[in-house]
Amino acid sequence: MDEIRMPKAEYNHHEMVVGIPRSLLYFRYGVLWERFFQELGVKTITSAPTNLKIMTNGSRRAASEMCLAMKIYMGHVESLIGKCDYILVPRILDFGLRRVMCVNFEALPDVVSNIFFESPIRVLSYNIDVSKKLDERRAMVEMAVSMGFSHGKSNKAYKKARKAQNEADSRAVKQNEAKYKNDGITLVLAGHSYILEDEYIGKPIMQYLNENGVNVVRADLVDRKAALRESERLSPTLKWELSREIVGSLVMHVHDFDGVVLLSVYPCALDSMVNDMMLRKNRITHVPILQMTLDAQTGTAGVETRLESFLDILKMRKEVEAGNGREAEA
Amino acid sequence: MEDVYMGIDVGSISTKGVIITKENKILSSEYIWTEGNPIGAVKKLVRLLEKQFDKENYRIVATGTTGSARKLVGTVLSATVVKNEITAHAVGTTTFHPDVRTILEIGGQDSKIILVENGVAVDYAMNTLCAAGTGAFLSSQSARLGIPVEDMGEIAVKSQHPTQIAARCTVFAESDLVHKIQVGHTKEDIVAGLCQAVVGNYLNNVGKGKKIQSPVVFQGGVSKNIGVVKAFENQLGCPIIVDPDGHLMGAIGAAILARRNKERRVFNFDVEDMEFITREINCGGCPNNCEIICVYRNGEMIDSWGNRCERGDVAARKAANPNAAAV
Repeated sequence: MDEIRMPKAEYNHHEMVVGIPRSLLYFRYGVLWERFFQELGVKTITSAPTNLKIMTNGSRRAASEMCLAMKIYMGHVESLIGKCDYILVPRILDFGLRRVMCVNFEALPDVVSNIFFESPIRVLSYNIDVSKKLDERRAMVEMAVSMGFSHGKSNKAYKKARKAQNEADSRAVKQNEAKYKNDGITLVLAGHSYILEDEYIGKPIMQYLNENGVNVVRADLVDRKAALRESERLSPTLKWELSREIVGSLVMHVHDFDGVVLLSVYPCALDSMVNDMMLRKNRITHVPILQMTLDAQTGTAGVETRLESFLDILKMRKEVEAGNGREAEA
Repeated sequence: MEDVYMGIDVGSISTKGVIITKENKILSSEYIWTEGNPIGAVKKLVRLLEKQFDKENYRIVATGTTGSARKLVGTVLSATVVKNEITAHAVGTTTFHPDVRTILEIGGQDSKIILVENGVAVDYAMNTLCAAGTGAFLSSQSARLGIPVEDMGEIAVKSQHPTQIAARCTVFAESDLVHKIQVGHTKEDIVAGLCQAVVGNYLNNVGKGKKIQSPVVFQGGVSKNIGVVKAFENQLGCPIIVDPDGHLMGAIGAAILARRNKERRVFNFDVEDMEFITREINCGGCPNNCEIICVYRNGEMIDSWGNRCERGDVAARKAANPNAAAV
């Protein structure tokens, strides 16, 4: 990673602008990143919410084998060209034993700097790698130090930023978990935050469900520590941090919802294994599960057919459970 | 004058229509090819239904549409109910087979499984957004082999040793198929292999993790293929019921749903004389550039859809009436 980080002499803090792509881990660390640079006095610019143009441009830039989320990310990076000097692309390998990230996050800085090697942008990165004793604090502080900030100032900025992110997280989790107590049909959307919160691919699905009177709860907004622990009840060997959070969240709340929509993008390596495992192990709990895989298509008919019929099934099932039996004939 | 109900199911391959009474008696039914023209097919269908229909004693008070063109056709027919095909199939089948536990369905571009408990659908799965192992797969392979798709079933049951064919993806299956032909497998074995492959693919993808319990009803266009029915019986180890009206279940379900709905609108077969056209416009209001479908009846726009936000409505109105938008 060192070859990507620029030598300190080149930085001019007052004029430099760091671009943050509104994609992938932005939905997990957005507050942390923006606050961190704000505390250091570095200007940031965040790309616009995903639209068709960003997605199309990203697909053109990305390798064909990459997942849709990665393609969208490349579109966000491209949209930042000319608006900033550096683009923040962290490398996150793991958080400890059986807590690894998808390999895409490990490769991301290298992938971005290779795809955009002709463009006038430079990649700013920090490196989280627990086997090298690089946790988030050390990694981000090292990045700031390499930019020419003092160790003390960097540390202080990190602390404030981390606190802000923690507060935002617990607020979001509290708000989300409160929805389990709402009346009506409760549906859990299980997918990575960068899919569910994406303006172009995930948001329309949430919107559709909300418009149809469903109480939508997100699986990824959960007490992460508890979810990691609970995920072992479904699979003691699952090793991906993001998948474990979602799986754990479903295990924790299995009695609180009427159905699950497993939302993934094509081709997601993690979901292809984890979602398959959940479908097969579901023989025990018999929760209705709808598996949906999104790709770069603009038609929404297939998506709507699936969601609409799934909701019908949930409603019919609920009527049976309530003892009403079959619908009264007119 | 007795009130009756019409159900129309417009799929990618075929268009089905029924008119039923309160007691689920079928008054008229028709089954034609869609041929890539849902509006034309539905107009033809309505004309054929009208011929069998006794206008003196009955009147249609509610219309339901289903199938992949349900929205478009629902607009054309001013339907009272527009419902997805899974719900329609579940409702139709459980009405005629109240004890059914599992409904298998393989259509032109979709395949699905519906699990039923006490006459009510409780769980289902559908193929992900890819047509591997559906009717489209079988008909493209039949074209390659030079066998009419209707005859495939009869040929398949003659085979003693079905050939192993990968059905995961149409492209792979095709290259596998060509290879097997060239090394000397007989046509019967290959066709039987294709039927087996469709079933294997279905059970491994759509039926994954689902408990398939008897009685099992198999429907959709592919259920007319006896080779696939036999392959299901082999792999599931239980009898498979194929209803002679199986292809009409979606339309029947749509008619029943129209009856259950409170809305009433008398249908008087005048759509045959109207001219319907659709036009696609690009909104251009933002980088999403949504594709909006506008439906015109006798030159007047009656509906539009496809836009993600309200900017699209403005664009559609502009397309409907360019002069008014300029004011």
